[in-house]
Amino acid sequence: MAQPKSRLTRTDWTHIAFLVLPALLFVTFYIYPVISSIGLSLHDWDGFSPRMRFIGITNYTVLAGQPRFLHAVFNNILWVVFMLIVPTGIGLLLAAILDRGIRGEKAFRIIFFLPFTIPAVAVAAIWRWMYEPDNGLVTTVMKVLGLGGFAQNWLGDPSVVNFSLMGAVAWWTTGFAFLVFFAGLRNIPTECIEAARIEGATPWQVFWKVSFPLLWPSTIIVLGMAAIDAMRLFDVVWSMTKGGPAYSSEVLATQMYDLAFGRFDMGRASAVAVYLFIIAGIIIMPYIVYMSRRVQDSEAE
Amino acid sequence: MKKSNWLAALGLAMLATTAVQAQENNEIWHYYAAGSELAGMNALIDAANAATDQYKFSGVVIPGNVVELRRQLQTAFLGGRPPALYQSSMAFELKTFADGGQLHPLTDVWAAIDGDKIFPEGVQRVVKVDGVPFGVPFDLSLINNVFYNKEAFEKAGVDVPTDWASFTAACDALRTAGYEPLGNAGGTFWSLYNFYAALVSVLGEEGYYKMASGELGFDSPEFSEALDLYRDSMVSCYAKNWSGKTWTQTADDLVNGNTGMFMMGIWAAGYMEQAGFKAGEGFDMFQAPGTVGKSIFQMDVLAVPEGPGVAAADEFIKAATTPEGQAAFATLKGSLAPNINVDPAVYGYAGATFTRQFSEASANNAVLPNLFFLLPTDLGTEFGVQIERFAIDPSDTVKSEMISTLEGLRQEALAENAFIKW
Repeated sequence: MAQPKSRLTRTDWTHIAFLVLPALLFVTFYIYPVISSIGLSLHDWDGFSPRMRFIGITNYTVLAGQPRFLHAVFNNILWVVFMLIVPTGIGLLLAAILDRGIRGEKAFRIIFFLPFTIPAVAVAAIWRWMYEPDNGLVTTVMKVLGLGGFAQNWLGDPSVVNFSLMGAVAWWTTGFAFLVFFAGLRNIPTECIEAARIEGATPWQVFWKVSFPLLWPSTIIVLGMAAIDAMRLFDVVWSMTKGGPAYSSEVLATQMYDLAFGRFDMGRASAVAVYLFIIAGIIIMPYIVYMSRRVQDSEAE
Repeated sequence: MKKSNWLAALGLAMLATTAVQAQENNEIWHYYAAGSELAGMNALIDAANAATDQYKFSGVVIPGNVVELRRQLQTAFLGGRPPALYQSSMAFELKTFADGGQLHPLTDVWAAIDGDKIFPEGVQRVVKVDGVPFGVPFDLSLINNVFYNKEAFEKAGVDVPTDWASFTAACDALRTAGYEPLGNAGGTFWSLYNFYAALVSVLGEEGYYKMASGELGFDSPEFSEALDLYRDSMVSCYAKNWSGKTWTQTADDLVNGNTGMFMMGIWAAGYMEQAGFKAGEGFDMFQAPGTVGKSIFQMDVLAVPEGPGVAAADEFIKAATTPEGQAAFATLKGSLAPNINVDPAVYGYAGATFTRQFSEASANNAVLPNLFFLLPTDLGTEFGVQIERFAIDPSDTVKSEMISTLEGLRQEALAENAFIKW
């Protein structure tokens, strides 16, 4: 039997009307720039000349053979690993400690979260001074503690600079992970915890066997955001080192910016953007899919 | 008319008013965001506002440096609403925007201000593209001076160096006396500016311009010799941890007596004077070995985008190039006025010294613009990065890699006919 012809109701039309503007905005400010960047990446263009020269995939092949580009890719991957482990781990640790109801909890909550409220450029300015290699706060404190021999040329040594930047970013972003984990811990039903304790579980076992598994929704948010932040990292690196010295701290976003505006090579910068888009997709998407499945499993349990 | 229609009409009227106001208020975009630099720029704008009732000018700070300003400009050009004028670097920076059809040729206003007479020839050649002026100089800084802490020199028993041998001897004496001999700072420019002294020592003025025009290769024996000289004379003198410092942090080291010498643009003199460390008393300066009697300079100019602000820009330029306008900027910022008619008496001890150096170099026809901006932009930028890399690790391996990288870019630029004979 033929299905009755579906007709849009007045409510459907209202929904469509409300969706038109967001959809238009999405297409104009997201889809169009993405397509436009892909188009630009196939051209040689300085960013303002009336003429563009079509050069096919040359920008992609040139980049793929450049040690500078490959080093930036490596740095981005290093940042992903770091962001997934360090700020997340410290945030979880701080949240777990504070969740035990220690004195001054409110003050510590503010102290832990405060750095995250500071703009990236201000964070960079603060740490630029902290890392002054001879008289900066980090070196001075190390000298006072008798660890002066371990002080480094924090932002000037190519083999150290990435770790220095990571220290600054850890200080800056741990507050976010802490806040999300702390809220997650506070939302865990107390009956579960109490049941475990009655069964004789140690605090360690309570955390790893009960609290942590129930924190999966929070973990997904924190890890997802950390991975995305690592791939789009720009402001702190640019403000503190501009990718230097000699490209050693460069990531894809800073390289893209340098090519576009430092060297008037908008086409190659767009190719870096497309590479970044693809690499971010390859790295982040499987993780998001995996984590989503874990959430579903966790909820089902 | 419906109420909603009235509201829409009112909104449109307000938008139109805002647009008109934006056009009447002629903006000058620059990146001098604070301190003596901002004070100088504000004085320049005040001078222009005082000189004309017809137009009103206001400065807009684009935080950052030339790269951030380019980003903002590109957006403005795409949107069709550029400023009336903007702060630009010289030479290739101007050529790139002029070739892109974004700059207004300043032939008429250049004639009106008598640009060929009031600016030295070495300055003129880097604001003209194919003989057409596209920029008007307002901020000139020498970059071949070495500043030194007088007390450190006295305590170490060091005389002012006059050649490379006495320079390295001064480094040794300072180090023995407990000072870091020579300060430097991390970044694309500073090691490169230091390297120019070695480069000019080996190549001379003619060879320097040959390098700028692409005639002399980075794989030439002369360039290799310049690298060796730089490594043996300056890199070996650099302070510990120099690459992790900003230039202001290193200037602080000189002020605090930790470092004996610091080769930097003359804006460092303004910075140290602001910190209460007086030129001629706390510190003094000398031309780097190999550049005595010569001046290597960095210069900012005013560029005018094509658009409705051209007439206003002409008036601004007329005011900004008078001796009064140029002096107003230079004395506050701590740079030199490019206009030769500015009375040298307006400067303090440091400015007077730099003016004397520049006049002498002009007379000797030994005024050399910053090579970074004479080279095609990509090559100039890579040059800065590679020299910094070599200064951090002056090994033969790095030297060989940098020569290969730079020569590869030179060949690409030659193939694209990108070099200019300035």
